[in-house]
Amino acid sequence: MNTQTAAAGWRGDLRRLSRSASFDIGVVIVLFWVACALFGPHLVPYDPFADDLLNSLMPPSFAHWFGTDQLGRDVFSRVIVGARDILTVAPIATVLSTILGTALGLTMGYFGGVIDEALSRIVDAVLALPTVIVALLALTALGTSNITVMVVIAFSFAPVIARTVRSAVLAERGFDYVAAAELRRENTFYILFIEILPNVLPPILVEATVRLGYAIFTVATLSFIGFGIQPPSPDWGLSISSNYGLIGGGFWWTVVFDGAAIASLIIGINLIADGIEGLRHD
Amino acid sequence: MTINHKLLDILRRGRNEHENHLIDGVVREAVSRREFLRYGSVLGLSAPLLGGISGALGFGLAPVAARAGTPGGTIRFGHIVPAGAINPVTIADPGGVTILSQFAEALVLSAPDLSAVPLLAESWAPNNDGTVWTFKLRQNVKFHNGKLMTADDVVATFDRLADPAVGSNALSALSGMLSKGGTRKVDDYTVEFHLDAANGNFPYAVSTDNYNAVIVPAEMPDDFEATMIGTGPFKLEKYTPKVGASFVRNPDYWGAAPLPDRIEITFYDDYQPQILALQAGEIDIIQQVPVLQAVGLLADPTFNIITTPSSAHHQVHMRTDMEPFKDKRVRRAIALTLDRPKFVQGLLRGKAQIGNDSPFMPAYPSTDSSVAQREMNIAEAKQLMEAAGMAGGFKTTLTTEKYLEIPDYAVLIQNAVKEIGGDITLNIMDQGAYYGDAVPGKSPWLDSEMGITDYGHRGVPNVFLQAPLSSTGTWNSAHFANAEYDTLVKGYIASLDLESQRASAGKIQTLLLDETPVIFSYFYDFLTVTKAGVTGVVATAMGHIMLAQASL
Repeated sequence: MNTQTAAAGWRGDLRRLSRSASFDIGVVIVLFWVACALFGPHLVPYDPFADDLLNSLMPPSFAHWFGTDQLGRDVFSRVIVGARDILTVAPIATVLSTILGTALGLTMGYFGGVIDEALSRIVDAVLALPTVIVALLALTALGTSNITVMVVIAFSFAPVIARTVRSAVLAERGFDYVAAAELRRENTFYILFIEILPNVLPPILVEATVRLGYAIFTVATLSFIGFGIQPPSPDWGLSISSNYGLIGGGFWWTVVFDGAAIASLIIGINLIADGIEGLRHD
Repeated sequence: MTINHKLLDILRRGRNEHENHLIDGVVREAVSRREFLRYGSVLGLSAPLLGGISGALGFGLAPVAARAGTPGGTIRFGHIVPAGAINPVTIADPGGVTILSQFAEALVLSAPDLSAVPLLAESWAPNNDGTVWTFKLRQNVKFHNGKLMTADDVVATFDRLADPAVGSNALSALSGMLSKGGTRKVDDYTVEFHLDAANGNFPYAVSTDNYNAVIVPAEMPDDFEATMIGTGPFKLEKYTPKVGASFVRNPDYWGAAPLPDRIEITFYDDYQPQILALQAGEIDIIQQVPVLQAVGLLADPTFNIITTPSSAHHQVHMRTDMEPFKDKRVRRAIALTLDRPKFVQGLLRGKAQIGNDSPFMPAYPSTDSSVAQREMNIAEAKQLMEAAGMAGGFKTTLTTEKYLEIPDYAVLIQNAVKEIGGDITLNIMDQGAYYGDAVPGKSPWLDSEMGITDYGHRGVPNVFLQAPLSSTGTWNSAHFANAEYDTLVKGYIASLDLESQRASAGKIQTLLLDETPVIFSYFYDFLTVTKAGVTGVVATAMGHIMLAQASL
């Protein structure tokens, strides 16, 4: 198998994928939020940061589709623009963790033996730590910033990806094309990244998509707890965190729409992951 | 007003110089009737005497409405979980204060109307220069262990609180005012407080304002939490840390017999579950609710909101020793961008008083109300920025705590200063991180260029004038050092009569408006929620809930 046939296979896969209704719905939802993240500020009816105290906590109306929050800011505008932070931080964190996890998994699977043993134990140890707790520790120690959040998520998710990649590599390791490359005296880097990697891409892709869903959840959780993204960002997790106390007062619109946004984005991503996963099993 | 001079002369007999000066003030109408009643209570004039003088002056004392509650029943209430062990010496959080107020009492009650009302003290009076205050104690007051409360217990209590070696939280109020050994027994029911410096408002330092100052037996056990011996209307039945507590009626209480049989308390980590518990009928009272969370309850007839006006506020400090705030014109310009009436209306739902950039809130009797209120004025703010050479604006970081309305207040300030080219980045931390080690160099609270800090209620502004603003103040986040200010505050604290206090206050207010090291844009009310029909609940803005006369 070489890279060209792999690429041809991908095109076929994509065609089959697009026939899956759940995959299409997932793509539409995610593309919608990506568009909001990119062009949101130009699309919204109000400045999402402008306060209007005398019109605070107004219920949804024609003027304010999703009502106004406790500072009189338009909730609709904030939900739309709020996609930006989470859709910057979570995907970058996921890409970082995928790169890191893939490199680790390739090394573990290809070399085996002591290297595999040692790295696997480290991976197990990291996996035993709950992501949010590690993130809280790191954010407290290093200070809160989007970069810290990305790095922390990348490090916490990399081991899971490494494990998946490792098992895939173990299966590939025995194939003749690897032995052939070794006989050609290709260097290890070439064998790992040019020969083996293209053949283990599908599981990596599925894993990365699933991780993206988790990353979104983690970012939302961190901003809910008050770490990571800072006010006055219209970030969804942050908005829920600062407004959930208002539900008791009947001001559900300050929270429900942000919650629905997070849910829809995660569902969308999981639908895409399901589609890709289903394809592998066909 | 028609003054009965004959009666007044009789009443004046035996009154000291300060008391007569106060009476002169009210006769000349330099002191209002309400201020007279409040400040008279501080000087130790008894209620009958105040009533007599009021009568002689022709305005009478408002009759105290007698509320007839029904005895019996169990009152259940919720509040935020106490932060640490229940120990009157070390308690520093509202949750702890609420528990303390069930079983223990102070000498004086700092009442919601800011007057000083006798509790375990029957009366008090200062010497001529305000350096020695003599307190007469109530007799036949029994601790829950059956012992009589005497001067020995009071002396031991205050020596403990003024001792720097025992981790006393009361030092924030007592240091520089009362030292260990300064409290002396005269006889079994008389105590003298020999102060480090003259103080015209000393009764507040031994009142519920200084919430650690509850009288407990001279021999206080190490494991105080196990017994909680005090003199209060309720005795400890059961206390489970982090979960709740129950108290039962004290049959030997010195005052009117407490109405409820039992008090059941449940601790909560947050406000929302308390509101749900109240709505579900699991509890009858929530000790405190932030205004935005109470909005839904404000209009609901099945609940009653007790609004206690307070001097609690959020201080916005600006580092006077650092750019961009070195120039006082910049600080003033920032203060001028704030639309205070709108903050009170929108952010605090009307449950607050407008502040004028000094600790002197309108309700303090000593506040000089002739000092003009600062109002929003963008044009003047821009001129000031230009004059300070900062027409191009400035960049800074505002660091603050995630507590009550503070994050929203921070956003409003951030938006407001955009008008004068201010570019503020917010850094909102959890409370533990913000206060840090509470010493300069290790505390964002004390080190940040700009920040917002919550300050709890005090019956007199003394703590607010000293700790965050005097050059030696331990909470001086603004790093404000102004010799003239220090002198004025010293004079204010030492003065015994209301008129000279007010004269100093006016100068302090004017100086702070000019310098503006700290923005005080509002003083927020303290909200307690009860089920409709609950009567007789007394709440203070310090966290006390007094239920002796409460009934369902």
